[in-house]
Amino acid sequence: MAGRGDGSPKRVRPEELTAESPLTLPGFFAALSDGRLLGGRCDECEQAFVPPRPACYACGSREIAVEEQPREGTIVADTEVARPAPAFAADAPLTIAVIELDSGARLTGRVAADYEAVEIGTPVELTVRELTDREKEFALDHEGEWPLHVFEPA
Amino acid sequence: MPEPVILSVGASPVGESELTGRDLFSVALAEAFADLPDPAEIVDALYVGNQSESYEHQIMYGTLLAEWAGLRHTPAERVEGCAAAGALALRHAVRDVRSGECDVVLACGVEKMTAGGTAGATDALSAAFDRALEQRSGITAPSQYALLAKRYCHETGASEEDLARVAVKNHANATKNPRAQYQSEIDAETVLDSSYVARPLKLFDCAPVSDGAAVVVVASAEAAETLVDSEETVRASGVGAGSNNLAVAERDLTFVEGAHRAATQAYEEAGIEASEIDIAEVHDAFTVCEPLLAEAVGFAPRGTGVQCALDPGDRSDGWSDVQVSSSGGLKARGHPIGATGLYQAVEAYEQLTGRAGDRQVEDAERALLVNEGGVADAVTVAHVLEVA
Repeated sequence: MAGRGDGSPKRVRPEELTAESPLTLPGFFAALSDGRLLGGRCDECEQAFVPPRPACYACGSREIAVEEQPREGTIVADTEVARPAPAFAADAPLTIAVIELDSGARLTGRVAADYEAVEIGTPVELTVRELTDREKEFALDHEGEWPLHVFEPA
Repeated sequence: MPEPVILSVGASPVGESELTGRDLFSVALAEAFADLPDPAEIVDALYVGNQSESYEHQIMYGTLLAEWAGLRHTPAERVEGCAAAGALALRHAVRDVRSGECDVVLACGVEKMTAGGTAGATDALSAAFDRALEQRSGITAPSQYALLAKRYCHETGASEEDLARVAVKNHANATKNPRAQYQSEIDAETVLDSSYVARPLKLFDCAPVSDGAAVVVVASAEAAETLVDSEETVRASGVGAGSNNLAVAERDLTFVEGAHRAATQAYEEAGIEASEIDIAEVHDAFTVCEPLLAEAVGFAPRGTGVQCALDPGDRSDGWSDVQVSSSGGLKARGHPIGATGLYQAVEAYEQLTGRAGDRQVEDAERALLVNEGGVADAVTVAHVLEVA
């Protein structure tokens, strides 16, 4: 073995990183299709993040536990997209927000509500749906079956 | 360690052009080399900042521009970092000279954004966001910055009118810049009456879609001596760079940490403090960027960044006397993505060598350039330039 790391058993091994692993995007979206939003939690500093990834962005540790995330969170910042990218033009305007889940993980997502109906601090809950036919047209081949996360006011 | 200097610059006018990317580069190169030997006689390497091949369906821009400059066989490469690509190219040039490996290096930037229209630009820019969660949610560049603006106004009490005044100031500066895309004054009502692109940001809070190319000639001080008089050179005394998470949600929404780190590194290399900077070109892709950056790079106390729109004498205690974006900034000078970082260097070079004409800032001796890519500080490059 190369390197002088401590060979911690908690670090991911190359052979574990298959399309079934939640540390890869196919694995993450497969779990999301089953209704489970998975995140990573750093063993060193406890930072939570979505999607799971092999290293912690806060401290750099590669000892990451995968945990199902809570479905509840709050809006940290929100906007109304008047002119979205071509794939989403038919749905304009879109409400999009940065959500902080109750685990502390933050992610961007659509909010199924008018911009005027929500604000910073509004509690929201995760829903998951399949892509629409139009969204599938713009998806890459490997993304067509990946579902979309959408938040609803709780 | 050889000291890198900028000894000449050139840039095309910014705006919608009939010319293609390589042609715009030829315009910039012709200006930069008007009083220099042919590039083939002096240039050791070329870097080109270029955001996206989707506009012109062209990659290999390093090779192409080397060929168009008469630099066949010269090491040349395209640098990619969305809107920070230009300053990344400049950073490579500075480091090549510092290392002693090269005497003269071209830092170039090219973008032909109008080729795909506004829809094409929207789509090409969205490629800079995280594909997994951000792009698939339908988010656009203005809406990413709108999230920052919404949170910034929420935490600081800044208003949409405060942000509008940043655009007003930059348009006023651009009236004196013959290269600027918009050489017309606007008032706050113009901004406030324009339609929302992504609340709270309106059309006039946004930098335009632009075509343009710029060339900055970097050399060791020793090599520069043989080519130009010393008063025509500007020292590249500090450079800093850093990245942050690609997904905006995972960053501090009201403190651009990447810019703070990049500027701090550039100040340290130059051996100066933020308060010693006389002029700055910062990355106002959207109005909210300028106050965020003013705070992150140490010009302004937290929460007071919107005073960047005021004359130095009218700002509150703790603010430096820096003049921000004398060029008109990205908002009014224009924002040809991969070239923007080099337009910033062109402006600073002209200011520090006393060639800025009607927009000359008196006694300008030190400049800070801050160029960002991929929504705010996903990647940031900062340079300190000083009179020789």
